This record gives sequence, structure tokens and C-alpha cells, in this order.
Amino acid sequence: MKCPGPPESSRLACFLENALVREARIWKAPVFQNLTLKGTDISPSCYEKTIIWIAEISSQFQFHSETFALSISILNRLLASARLKYLQCIAISCLVLAAKTNEEDEVIPSVKMLAVQSGCKRSPAEILRMERIILDKLHWDLYTATPMDFLNIFHALVMSNWPHLLNGLPQTNPSLHVAFLTKQLQHCMACHQLVQFKGSTLALVIITLELERQTPDWFPVITDLLKKAQVTSTEFMHCKELVDQELMHLQPSNAIYIFCPISQAIQGDTEAKFPYHYPSELKNSHQVKLQVAVSQPVSAAVMSATAQIPDGTMETDEYYDGFRYLYSEDRGADGGRGHMGGLCPQLKSGGGSSPCPPLQPPGRE
Amino acid sequence: MLCVSAGSARCGSCCSEGRGSQRGRGLQHAEAASTEELRDVTRAALPVPSQQPQHFHTLQSRRCRMWRPWTYNDHFKEQDVVESFKWQRQGIPFGAATSYVHLKKLCEGSSATVYKGISRINGQLVALKVISLETEEGVPFTAIREASLLKHLKHANIVLLHDIIQTKETLTFVLEYMHTDLAQYMAQHPGGLHPCNVMLFMFQLLRGLAYIHRQHILHRDLKPQNLLISCLGELKLADFGLARAKSIPSQTYSSEVVTLWYRPPDVLLGATDYSSDLDIWSAGCVFVEMVQGQPVFAGTSSAPEQLEKIWTVLGVPTEDTWPGLSKLPKYKPELTASRRPQRLRVICDRLSRAPAAEDLASRMLTAFPPGRISAQDALLHGFFSPLPPQLYQVPPEQSVLTVPAVRLQPEICDLFTSYRKGRLSQGSSKFW
Repeated sequence: MKCPGPPESSRLACFLENALVREARIWKAPVFQNLTLKGTDISPSCYEKTIIWIAEISSQFQFHSETFALSISILNRLLASARLKYLQCIAISCLVLAAKTNEEDEVIPSVKMLAVQSGCKRSPAEILRMERIILDKLHWDLYTATPMDFLNIFHALVMSNWPHLLNGLPQTNPSLHVAFLTKQLQHCMACHQLVQFKGSTLALVIITLELERQTPDWFPVITDLLKKAQVTSTEFMHCKELVDQELMHLQPSNAIYIFCPISQAIQGDTEAKFPYHYPSELKNSHQVKLQVAVSQPVSAAVMSATAQIPDGTMETDEYYDGFRYLYSEDRGADGGRGHMGGLCPQLKSGGGSSPCPPLQPPGRE
Repeated sequence: MLCVSAGSARCGSCCSEGRGSQRGRGLQHAEAASTEELRDVTRAALPVPSQQPQHFHTLQSRRCRMWRPWTYNDHFKEQDVVESFKWQRQGIPFGAATSYVHLKKLCEGSSATVYKGISRINGQLVALKVISLETEEGVPFTAIREASLLKHLKHANIVLLHDIIQTKETLTFVLEYMHTDLAQYMAQHPGGLHPCNVMLFMFQLLRGLAYIHRQHILHRDLKPQNLLISCLGELKLADFGLARAKSIPSQTYSSEVVTLWYRPPDVLLGATDYSSDLDIWSAGCVFVEMVQGQPVFAGTSSAPEQLEKIWTVLGVPTEDTWPGLSKLPKYKPELTASRRPQRLRVICDRLSRAPAAEDLASRMLTAFPPGRISAQDALLHGFFSPLPPQLYQVPPEQSVLTVPAVRLQPEICDLFTSYRKGRLSQGSSKFW
């Protein structure tokens, strides 16, 4: 992997600056108080269920992880004035708006399809009415910076400024590594105690925890990023504690994130762990795209059940394509696909006899 | 009743407008008359604002079709109209349909109709982009993107979004009013524009592009129709319906973007990982079109034809000149039939007249995407060296036309017209 040079790093700094400005302008933390969200009748568990539900629909429709993050950002801005009985309708409308903003024309599903497939009990007309209410309420200002944007920016900054830090990763390339962190972030976004933190703080905490696990040299890197992100250290420490606890719960399911459907023997294992079933026609009707969300191993399993190995690698491959550009990984000669072919065996050998690459438990120091 | 009288009063002003542009000498008089009538319109219209706009613009568009859609003399009358609206300023809210009066229809597209209008809030002229809402899919994604992006873009070379009005069936964007667009301007001045004006427009186009690219936004539909021009010669990027914000890492994007003639070869070949270089190609096409008076890669109706047209000029690329070419989705090896690149001046002879014009054009129209010059670098290109250096110090929200000695030059054909009329050319913008 070639390391992006200084121009890349200043480009990223500019990205970060823009994103921070966008975040600061509309940031308002939802507060949970007395078992409900302040000013509403929404309980923390309802909130969390809603987020998880949105994550599921989002992956069912194969939206980018940014789309999911955007829909949650929109939702959080509306929470203070939401009522429980409208929560589902608001949430699905947020997803519609996020898809219209972030997905390409040909990927945006019809509202009717979304209403049916998501299993929500709302009619398309209701969703559309809510869509307009939301636009009006937010003054059409949907262009915000999500935690996902920050995660990508921080990760890219680390990769470009301190490329040696992540040399010993189990995920052998930066894109797989981000995908792994994305999973953690999405988990945290569905946690009501973490709603009080800005996306930039949350993303930085996730990067920090990861660096702590991977390298003894994490401290100067994080101090630098803290300064760049203008995050206060008390808030940061508080968030870090909570995220650390939260990710403990995630640990057993870390394995689902591992992308290694190369051997047929593994498939039974993966499928056994994830008894979801997604209609396979989704695969055909939509452009196959990155799945960072919960469905990644599931879809990989669905795919490789019917197709040969190269198709099974498709998803991460597509994701990887996006990063390839960023990290200028062999743009010309090799191309994304060819590279992936070489990657899987590495993963496999790295994992030794286990089907999964070695993952550290999050708490390990 | 009131609506009818409002309509006919405005029609009266239409007539005087027509007269005004036909015989220059009656201009002053006609202006005064129309101002008078417009004042009546506003007085008459105010008491029943809720039902007035609908009738008003239907009547309006029907009658106005008889006259030229753009009359540059408008500008002078508009000042008076603006004056006449100032007294009503208090208590009129943003976001209400009644806060704007439709004056006339400017153009009609597939999804939106644009009217010229006037704001009762501050008396400014505005463009009202009326988007009909689809019953099935709600607010079009183009509208959502345009609104949410334009809200963040404050720059002298980006069209300004003043207000958004939602009604049951329609959505209206209230945008800054501009007198014409580059497509119309070029149609009215065939055979290539005045070299100074090309420089002025191009500088502003690149300035706007550099700004949005700094914000990591891609326009994705640059063409003369989407570049608005004011009577002073200010140029602004408009129509952000296909635009989108870039993220890190770059997502892959749709390759069905940009009007065919302005679409870069990588996207024609199905590339989806494009970046700001996409807009640079389109801007390059617009540049040559301004110089030459003809679209540079025009007349085709399919992607393969369009590519063929581009290769005849630039030569067929190879894996050597364009690493990664053969990996593009729509790449076909039969393309490799060797064809030698030509200089751009072979197809656009006028490029050789302005120093450095050909060099700038060829840096923008480079087939290999990373080889294209960035908007920021293009602004520093030698082609712009005749412009005063203060242009680079103008703050983003201020127009470059505020720099002394930077102004629109009369186009050659306007000079002829004014001589024929037996009048002196005053170099004023009104003689475009």
C-alpha cells in the first residue's frame, strides 16, 4: 500500500474542518431523563429498538453505511419533539430522506417498496406526509456530518499520518479495518447512553480504543486528533468509558464481522450463527454494494451458497473499491478485484486453523 | 375580479416593455408607465393574496409568450418595481406563498417551471422554481439535494437560495434572480464571445467550482444552461439537483450523470469513482464553446458516439497514457485502433487567438481524469494573467465585478446592432 503524501493529509484536514463546522451548526444532544427521552414518552429501549430496526432495513436495501448514519442523525435531531406512537413513522421517513440524499438515483427504492419490505405498519402516504413535516422542521438542512463521516476521516488521517501504526492489524488492509470499526460504531449508535455525544467524539473514541489495543504509541496520535477535532478531554474520557463498556457486549459478535466465506466448510458455521433470512431477489434488483452493517456475513453466506468464490468476495470488494481510491492502493495494474483474491488466503492463513482471523477482545490491554 | 384587473395591468406593462425594447427613445416614458401600473398591481393584489398568484401567473404566461422572453431593458424597470415594493416590507413572512408575486414564466423543464417573481419581503426580484410533487415518491431527491446543499453554499458565484415554500401540490424554491443563462447568451451572440468576456465568465465559473470542490461537493451537471448570468456579467452556478457531497472514502457514484455532450470520457466508459475532475471536463467543454461559439463535442446521442467524437480529437488513449483504462466497465478493446491526438485548435481555430487559451483548454480536456487541472490551479493559469491581480483577493461572497475595470465588454454583434440603430455604443451592459 502506498501511503498518501502530505497533500492527502491536508485534504483530510480540510474534510475534517468542513465536517466539524457542519456538525457544530446543528448539534443538539437528546437527553434521557427519568426513564424517557426528555420532553417525550420515548423510553431508552424503544429508542434502541428503533435504531436497530433502521439498521436492519438499511442493510436489507444495501444502503451505504453513511445512509444509515445520516438517517440516525436526522432522527436524533427530531427526537425532542417526537411522540412514541409516531416514532416508527418518523424513523422510516428519516431513512427515506437519508436514501434520497445519499444514495444514487438508481438505488433509491420506491417509498411503497420500503414501506412494505420494512414491515412497518405505515402507508406510503403517511411516510410521505412525515417526510414533508421533517423537511419543514429541519428547514431542509439535511447536509450534516454523521459519526460515520468522522470515523472515516479519522481513520484516513491515522492511515495517512502514521501508516506504521496499523501494520500489525488482523485486517490486512485499511478498508477491512474501517469496516470492522464501522460495525462497532453502528453498535454504539444504537446505544441510548451514547446519544449525548457528538458524532465526532464517538468516532474518535472508537479509533482511540482500537489504537490502544493495537499499539503502544497511540497517545501522541490521539492527542493530535483530539486537538484537530476540538473535543474536550472530559467529554472524551466520559464517552470512552461508556463505549468501552458497550463494546464489551459486542465482543462475542465480533466474529460476525469477519469476512472469510472462502471455504465452504465455514458457511455452515456462519449460517448457524445468523439465522436471518433475506430475500435473495434483493441481490438482483439492487446494485451489489458494501455491507458494513449486520448483514455482511449473512449476505456473504447467501451469495456463496449459490455462487462461486469470486462472487462471495464481492461485497467487501465493492467496499474496498471505495477505499482503493483513497489509499491509492494499486489503482492501475491490479485493480480492486484482483487484489482481493490475494487477500483472502492471507486472512485465512492469518487465522490459522480457525475460520476467523485473530481478533482481540476489546478489553485486552 | 381583482385578479383579472391585476392581470391586465401587468399585461399593460408587458406591452410597454415590448415597445420599450423596440424603440429605444420611448423607453423612459414606457418605464414610468409600467412602474405606475405595477404599483397598481401590488395594491390590487394585496388584499386577496391567497387566491391571487394562481390566476396571476396563468394569465401572465399566456400573454407574455408574445414577447421576447428576455429583454435586457427589464433591468431598469426592475429597479423601479423594487422601489415600489419596499414600503410593504413589514410583517410578511418567509416560507409563505403569498410573500412572492409571480411575474412571468421564464422556462419550463420536465420537473420544474421557473417564474420570474418579486418578493414582498424585501422587494427583490426572485426566480421561483416551482416543482410539482409526485404523489408516489414525495419530494424528488433532486429537490432535497439542491436545497440541503445550497443552504450551505454562500458564494458570489453560486446561485443563492432565499426561501422554500411548501404547499400541498407544489414546492417552490425562491432563488436569486438572474437575467439570463450562458446558453441563451451564447445563442444571442453567435460565433464566439468577446475574448475578455470569455475570460471573465471562465474565471467566475472556476471560482465557483473551486469553492464547491473545497466543500467536497460535485456539481455533476455543468452545462451552459446551468450557468446563470446577470446583466452585469456575473456568472453563477445553478441547478444542484444532481450534485452531491463527497465522502471519505469516496463512494462509488452513478455514471449516469452530466448531459451527454459535457460528460467526461471516464464516465462515458462507466467509471463510478470520479471526483472533482468530472466537473472540470464539463467546464472545459463550456470554455471551448464560449471561445468557438459551438459545443466542442456535440451532436451525438449515445455514449459510444460521444466517445468516438472525443477520441477523434484527443486520440485514442492506451493503458500507457491512461493507467487503468482497460479495467473500466464499458471499455472495449476495439477502441484501440490507433488514432493520433490533435491539437484542440484543429477543431477550434479561435483557441489560437487568445494566448494560453489552448493550453488551459487542453489541461481541462484531458482524458485521464487525474491528469486534469484542478479548479484552483486553473484560476492561476496564465490565461487569466490579463485580469487585474486584485481578483484573487476578492472575498468569496463578493462578486469579482466589484474590482474596478473588471466589467462585461459589449459583444461584437451588439456593437453592429447599435450602430445600425444609429446610436453610439456606450459599452453598457444593456446593449448585449
